Amino acid sequence: MSTVELPAGGAAPIGLRRPRPVSSRFLRSELRLIFGRRRNIAGLAVLALVPIIIAVAVKVSAPRPGDGPDFFASITGNGLFVPLAALTVEITLFLPLAIAVIAGDSIAGEANLGTLRYLLTVPVNRTRLLAVKYAAITIFAVAATMLITVVGLVIGVALFHGGSMTLLSGNQIGFGGGLLRVLGATVYLAVQLAALGAIGLFLSSLTEQPIAAMAGLVVMTVVMYILDSIPQLGWLGPWLLTHRFTAFGDLLRSPVAWDTLRQGVICAASYALIFWLASWARFAGKDITS
Amino acid sequence: MSIFNRVPILRWIVPAAATALVIGGGALVANSPADASPPLAPRSAAQLLVDIQQASVTGLSGTVVQSSDLGLPTLPGLGLGGDPGSANLTSLLAGTHTLRLWYAGPHQLRVAVLGSLGESDVIRNGNDLWTWSSKDNTATHRTLSSDEPGSSEKSDSTDRQPGSGVLPAISGMTPQQAADAALAAISPSTKVTTDGSAEVAGRSAYELVLTPKTAGSLVAQVRIAVDATEHIPLRVQVFATGQPTPAIQVAFSAVDFNRPDAAQFAFNPPPGATVTEQDSSKPSAADRAKERKAATSKAAGELGAPKIVGSGWSTVLVMDASSGLGALTGRPGPAKSSDASPSPSPTAQPPGAALGGILTALPKVSGSWGSGHLLRSKLFSAVITDNGKIAVGAVAPDLLYTALSQ
Repeated sequence: MSTVELPAGGAAPIGLRRPRPVSSRFLRSELRLIFGRRRNIAGLAVLALVPIIIAVAVKVSAPRPGDGPDFFASITGNGLFVPLAALTVEITLFLPLAIAVIAGDSIAGEANLGTLRYLLTVPVNRTRLLAVKYAAITIFAVAATMLITVVGLVIGVALFHGGSMTLLSGNQIGFGGGLLRVLGATVYLAVQLAALGAIGLFLSSLTEQPIAAMAGLVVMTVVMYILDSIPQLGWLGPWLLTHRFTAFGDLLRSPVAWDTLRQGVICAASYALIFWLASWARFAGKDITS
Repeated sequence: MSIFNRVPILRWIVPAAATALVIGGGALVANSPADASPPLAPRSAAQLLVDIQQASVTGLSGTVVQSSDLGLPTLPGLGLGGDPGSANLTSLLAGTHTLRLWYAGPHQLRVAVLGSLGESDVIRNGNDLWTWSSKDNTATHRTLSSDEPGSSEKSDSTDRQPGSGVLPAISGMTPQQAADAALAAISPSTKVTTDGSAEVAGRSAYELVLTPKTAGSLVAQVRIAVDATEHIPLRVQVFATGQPTPAIQVAFSAVDFNRPDAAQFAFNPPPGATVTEQDSSKPSAADRAKERKAATSKAAGELGAPKIVGSGWSTVLVMDASSGLGALTGRPGPAKSSDASPSPSPTAQPPGAALGGILTALPKVSGSWGSGHLLRSKLFSAVITDNGKIAVGAVAPDLLYTALSQ
């Protein structure tokens, strides 16, 4: 784990030549770590399995209209709904869990293995370390959602026909437009998950036990869902990150209802900013003891 | 950076400042319509009322947010607050709901009730009336005859929403309709004033304030924000006594007075959807009026002629429902089997049937007038006595008891 990060600081053999501040080597090694770990690959495989299960299950027994979770009934009409159904199912627990594993491991994992201090003795600025760690979490969020969408699209179009897509408003748009909206929904959810990842990064900087940070983020996600479902706490809803997760459905209206989507992106960006700064405040002044 | 290195605790100022900035900014955005008071030439209440009557809007599109905070008790069977993201047309009773509205003259209207991952639409395009529900993947179609409301009756005020008779569930929910309902209640019992000016959906608006003169009403104020240039109501708020926030609010969150594209009113049921063609001869205006009258007289027969106690805003209706108590307690009564409505929507249910299941869940009250169950909310109260009397009013329970003992 520690050997791959060394090149970041290894580029300063002569006094004046310092590593370029925008060098992507550290980030690339970080990504190699994330996508190279067997447990992460297994997690991604589970994420990719969900759209396959959904598509096959619907193919075997077509649900009646009004039955089943959102978008399930629409799948028989158009394969584009397979990724949407899969994302809807997975955004409640699977995707936050995957982000929790990656984000919780980001700092606490290194601290737990004792590689964090080696990483820091290499001249890696702590702020830069946090920036790279967060960039890697964001890329993982995009990769995880895109994986579900691509697998869902392939199996959906293979098992059901593509063609025109029926929007929530009852209008129909062509396959290209439908594809664009599905991709938009994917990016929107990736942004939401990246904000969740910032919370995870902060929790990870608090502890040296990666499991604690992972569990902490999952608990926070579930608590936000619970708070959002209590009618008496309705005023709190708009401030919760999970409140607008399902707003990606607004992309499937005619015309697109941007209001909630815009609020959702602003909310996610605010969470990301605040928790990244909090992890900076925590991590930059932290004593690295292990 | 040096100060941060010397005193690491100071680093926490940065995320704290970001948090304060975000929360402050968010609160500012959320409350800006109430804070901003753009200068407008003063206008009297009477002038505003005339403006509203003479408003002629050829087209608009916008988003309407409707929120109810009636403080109703959580009761089984009513479905209140059960599914806040529901796009069901009848779920507007509680919580916050968002509607999108397109309007281009009385013959072209589209209302979409947005659910979190669903949508219910009502579309009128010429003589075609469509309803669409994405959750059920169903559409209904009805061809309107020329005597439908919206073609003849509403010709004098073109800004009214057509189809109000067809869909009572949503007609009361647009600002225009809600304002009409409030204005109809204006009587000598009400003080009508104007109060400064407000900003709704980024537009300057006058505020018309209706204050009940009669004491004892739970309604403290009804505020109607009227657009300064287009003269249509942009926001209606109903305040309950002693409550700083409105119990009911219907407001545009965005509005555009350009005529929407005609394509927005075209609806073709998507392939795979279940389409119900409704008989165009049966629901003509005359027939439906007859139907409604029959249903009303049936209900009146069960509930007895209502006795009116008090006047104005503190009016209490006392009905004798002892003969129709079968329906109230949920036992099969004649009212249920003879429901004439073509679509079994919950609004078409007699109110008694809905009440029946929850009656026992209501708190028990008793006094010199007898005993019964009390339904209490911020805006109205209702008492159902054990001997089958019902008293309803926008008043505190005390006034209901007084009315019952008379």
